[in-house]
Amino acid sequence: MTPSAPLLRFRALRKTIGAGRILLDIDEFAIAAGRCTMLTGPNGAGKTTLLKILAGLEPPDRAFVDYDGTSLPWSAARRRYRREVIYLHQQAYLFDCSVAGNVAYGLHGLGLARAEVARRVAQALDWAGLAHLAPRNARALSGGEKQRVALTRALVLAPRVLLLDEPFTGLDEEARERAGFLIERLKADRVGVAVTSHELPPLARIVDLHLELRDGRLAPPARTQRAANKTHRPADAAPRGRVVYLNTGAQDEAG
Amino acid sequence: MESITQAGGHALVLLFSADPELWNIIGVSFRVSLAAIVVTAPLALVLAFALAYARFPGQRPVVTVVHSLQAIPAVVVGLAVYLMLTRNGPLGDLRLLFTQTAMTIGQIVLGFPLLLALGHSALQAADRRAWETARTLGAPPWRAMLTVMRDVRFALLAAVIAAFARIIAEVGASIMLGGNIQYHTRNIPTAIALETSKGEYAQGIALGIVLLTLALALNFCLSLLHGKGAMR
Repeated sequence: MTPSAPLLRFRALRKTIGAGRILLDIDEFAIAAGRCTMLTGPNGAGKTTLLKILAGLEPPDRAFVDYDGTSLPWSAARRRYRREVIYLHQQAYLFDCSVAGNVAYGLHGLGLARAEVARRVAQALDWAGLAHLAPRNARALSGGEKQRVALTRALVLAPRVLLLDEPFTGLDEEARERAGFLIERLKADRVGVAVTSHELPPLARIVDLHLELRDGRLAPPARTQRAANKTHRPADAAPRGRVVYLNTGAQDEAG
Repeated sequence: MESITQAGGHALVLLFSADPELWNIIGVSFRVSLAAIVVTAPLALVLAFALAYARFPGQRPVVTVVHSLQAIPAVVVGLAVYLMLTRNGPLGDLRLLFTQTAMTIGQIVLGFPLLLALGHSALQAADRRAWETARTLGAPPWRAMLTVMRDVRFALLAAVIAAFARIIAEVGASIMLGGNIQYHTRNIPTAIALETSKGEYAQGIALGIVLLTLALALNFCLSLLHGKGAMR
């Protein structure tokens, strides 16, 4: 696989709600390793639903999925990339147990020895600067701490794609910077990232592609497209235009 | 026939003198109702979860029927199970009628829809993100289900207690299916009904005190659980 070839690609994705109202009608959407895609759009545009479909949490009416070079139906794809494509809620949901217990949750399903789980949890908490909170009940933490625990809980599973729902909402400037720095580190670790926002991207430098979801369709907004052209790109990124993140049939990424 | 005051005093004597018949009645009640709730709870709660989280055609009417069945009269349940277990009924060969097993079956049938409906309400109110978070972290459906249930455990426990309180106090099904046989199938509610009809109030009052104490204890547990759930 080339450095920026799509890791996860959805084709002909369609989702209707209620009495057949089309919420999503997307020709193609892809996430590449080490790249960050920002999805914007008004409230109710379907950004969260799209992320949940990508994560395998909500069924589409129809979708074809390519994951890691293999084409699969949606139901098979979600089993295939279990623990590798992880969705994080806008407001982190933590289980009613300790911080360490939360971080260990996904590891328990890997068939690891108890000692190995404990070692990985301790390592992850150290990495995230949360070691001092390990025995605390996760529900008693502040909002920012909860977000960090949720992220650590996901990262301990070494995901290949992270889907972050409105990660910047409610954060102050400093917390946004920290979140942006973290996303840069994820990208450097070859993790594909998709983030949603109902406003313009607060941290343009981390975004490789900005798409707007409007009337169920994805398109690179003309105004932001110009901004994206100026966006910093990693040195190993493929030449622009070779990596097709989006093909709505209307507009391809500008070369 | 003794006066109510005399009967009250006699009732206390019966309670504290380890009267064998009285304590046998109490034992039958707890044995039958605990067995019924142990069988009912896992089945009803798993089904309640499926009803709250699965999507299938006709889901709404099914939920409506389940919630309506909460109010099913105990005597109707007793009649239905009686017709199944009577010698000429489809399960007559099992010869279960007028046994504690028959009473347990009746209480299972009575408690199941109640626990299903209460469990469904509790799980429906659970934060959907619990399920989604568990699944996205790789939990298989059964583990994600246990995770959600753990998160609403106080509400589910309250549902189990409410169902237990209903079945241990019911009289209609127990009297039809157990037959109120002394030292065998006589439980607290059937004994109260019988002794009162004979004008023997002492045992009725003593058993009433046991039921009231149980109801108070269960209600106390329920309010504690509600408090714990609300604090989270």
